[in-house]
This record gives sequence, structure tokens and C-alpha cells, in this order.
Amino acid sequence: MATITEKTKEEVKEVVYSFFAEECEVDIEQINENTSIIKDLDGDSLMFLELIEIFKKKYNLDIELKVIGKYAVKHPVSTIGQLIEMQLLIIEHENRLLDIEP
Amino acid sequence: MSDNQLAFIFPAFTSDYTNHPGHGIPGFALQFDTFLRTASNKVDPLLKEFTFTGNTFLEDELLTQYLTYIYSCASASALRNLGFSPSMNAGYSMGIYASLFDAGSVSFETGLELIRLAFQSLKMAISSASFGMVSVIGLSGRDIHHLIDQYDLRVEITNQNASPSFVLSGFLDDVMAFMKLAMEEGALHTRDLGVSIPYHASFLKEGAKHFGKLISSLEIKQPENKIISMIDQTLLLTPSIIRQELINNLYYPLNWFRTKQVMLEHQVSVFVECGPSKGLTKNSKFVEGNFRFYSLNSFPLNQI
Repeated sequence: MATITEKTKEEVKEVVYSFFAEECEVDIEQINENTSIIKDLDGDSLMFLELIEIFKKKYNLDIELKVIGKYAVKHPVSTIGQLIEMQLLIIEHENRLLDIEP
Repeated sequence: MSDNQLAFIFPAFTSDYTNHPGHGIPGFALQFDTFLRTASNKVDPLLKEFTFTGNTFLEDELLTQYLTYIYSCASASALRNLGFSPSMNAGYSMGIYASLFDAGSVSFETGLELIRLAFQSLKMAISSASFGMVSVIGLSGRDIHHLIDQYDLRVEITNQNASPSFVLSGFLDDVMAFMKLAMEEGALHTRDLGVSIPYHASFLKEGAKHFGKLISSLEIKQPENKIISMIDQTLLLTPSIIRQELINNLYYPLNWFRTKQVMLEHQVSVFVECGPSKGLTKNSKFVEGNFRFYSLNSFPLNQI
């Protein structure tokens, strides 16, 4: 189980903002925590998948996609802020992501 | 053109014509209008009423196929007129017809006829039964097969787009049941593709055979550049191989993921999606390799 530091939080935020700015061809200044991934950025599930792969490589994560899928069904993500929170949980808990639920 | 080996990729259908990516390609509009007029006269006068912002016929499977074909042929022709010649091309699913036109293997009119005959043959073959297709992201092939077996679903994997991205075809009730089960199993996303024919599935074998008889007299020439099969990734080198591929393409499963890998082995380094969407371009990021994949609006006309 990884420890999430302030540096990790900053890194994840930077990667997510840069990723959506480039993929969705928008100015990074237009993105904030409340930006809707679908309504404002026209994002899609392939982008979500690509982002997961980026973080899997960056942090050498051991996590199955279907663990993330099961978690996402119960905790749907619609904004950039929620997505960052989920990515931090994935980095912290990896394949034990579902264990953090009550 | 530099040493980059160029490939044209032709998509199946689109679900949106607004902000279409070809509008900035010099010569595209003229080519599109010419092909649209020809198709209106040849297969369906309704096509004359198409506009990019209004009447797009997206609810009509056959007209949508014609329009995607027209768009694909127009964009590839415009690129060729600008001096771009692919060393190889590939047709994704029903994009095979545009790939054959682009390679000089069939005329534009024959491509239209192939689309019409395939659609009619398959519609007749499935009769009144309800079928559908679904895409699923986030499950492995093994997970999907496990679900199909466990619940005895009449669905088949009919394409692999990326390592965790698949398309399935089957009876509509079972397709809908699969969507629900897949989400419970941990899929990140499922989507009903909104088609009534289970393309690339064995349910269509009889329809495909009928299609084979209907196309036996259509003229198919040797292609002027390499065309790769999405079924087994071999090269379609002769008219007889192409004729068989046209039949098999209707009821054999495809593998787009593997096709891209084999194209890279053939030294392709630049891909252009010659069609009205950017779906294949988005999807390309899940293959490792030293290549660039462009949609029409991102293709750097002066830098390749």
C-alpha cells in the first residue's frame, strides 16, 4: 500500500490536467476540479482507460481493470476532481481498492 | 513524402457528422459532392438530401453505410490528389469496401453495389430475429468468454480493438443481458452499437454464402497497393482472395488490435483514418510501437 504524499497529489493533478488538455484540445487554464469530463470536455471511456494505463506505468501499479470497474460502478466519476481522487485511491490501494469500502 | 510508410485506414460507420474531420482537406468537398451525386443516382435518391448539419440518416443503417463509404472514398481520393500514396491500407469492418476502392480493386459503383448486396443478404438471412452489437471496455477476452459460457449467452466476440476492448455480436436479448453482466463483472464501459445485424458473427454464415453468389459476377481487380485482412492479417493479393475475404468479412471475427501490430511489422509508421470520425485514431493508443496515427483534421499535410 503506497503512501500518498503532497508530491504525489501534485503529480497526479498535473498529469490529469495535461492529459485532458491535450486529448480534448482545450486550454489547460479552462480545466478545474469541477470541470465535467463528458459535458465540458467530451471525454470518453477510452480516455479513462488510457489515463489508467499512464498511472499504472508511472507508479508500477498492480491493479486489474475490473477492480477499478467494480469500484467505479459504486463511485461514479463525472468531474476532474473526482477523477483525481479516484486515481489517488488506485495508487494507494491498487488491487485492494475494493477493501476500503465499509 | 519521406521514408515514412503511409497507411490509409477506413472505418465502418460513424454516429456523428458534425465537426467532420475532412472539411479542411483541399479538394475533399468537391470529391464528396461528386461521389454523393453518383451514389444518389446509383443506389438511393434520398442520399441527395444529406447535409453535414441536418439530414444525416444516422437512424438508417444502410444509408449510413453508403455515406461512410462515400466520405471515406472522397477523403482518400483527396489525399491521393495531394500526392499521398499509401503503401498499405485496411478496412475496418464494413470499411473494407472503401479500402478496395482506394486500392483500385473495385470501382466506386461496385463498392456501392457490394454494400447494398451485403446488407440485403444479411437482412434476409436474419429474418425477423432481433440482433445487436455491443462494445465493452475493461474486461479481458477470458473474462468475456467466462460470462458467455456461464450464462449460456448467444453472443460472440467479433472484434478486439485493444487489449481490454472488444466488440460482441448476438441475439439482442442476450446482448442486453451481457451488457448488464459485464458491468457487474467490472467492465469500465459498455455501449449498444445500435445496429440490427450481428456483423462478423457465425449467425450470418448463410447470408454470407448467399452474398458470395450475388457478387460472383462483379468485377474485382488486383489491388494497386497492399491490403491487409482484418480476419487473419494476411495480404489480399488477388481478386479471388479478395472475393473470399468479402464473404468471410461478414461472418468471421475480426482483430483490429492484431491488424495494427502486423501493419507495424510491415514497416507502416504513419496511419491516417480516412473517414468521418476519429474513433480508430483514439483507439490506436493502445498499441505499442513507433508510429503516428492521425484523423483527417490532424493529418499534417505539409510535414509528412
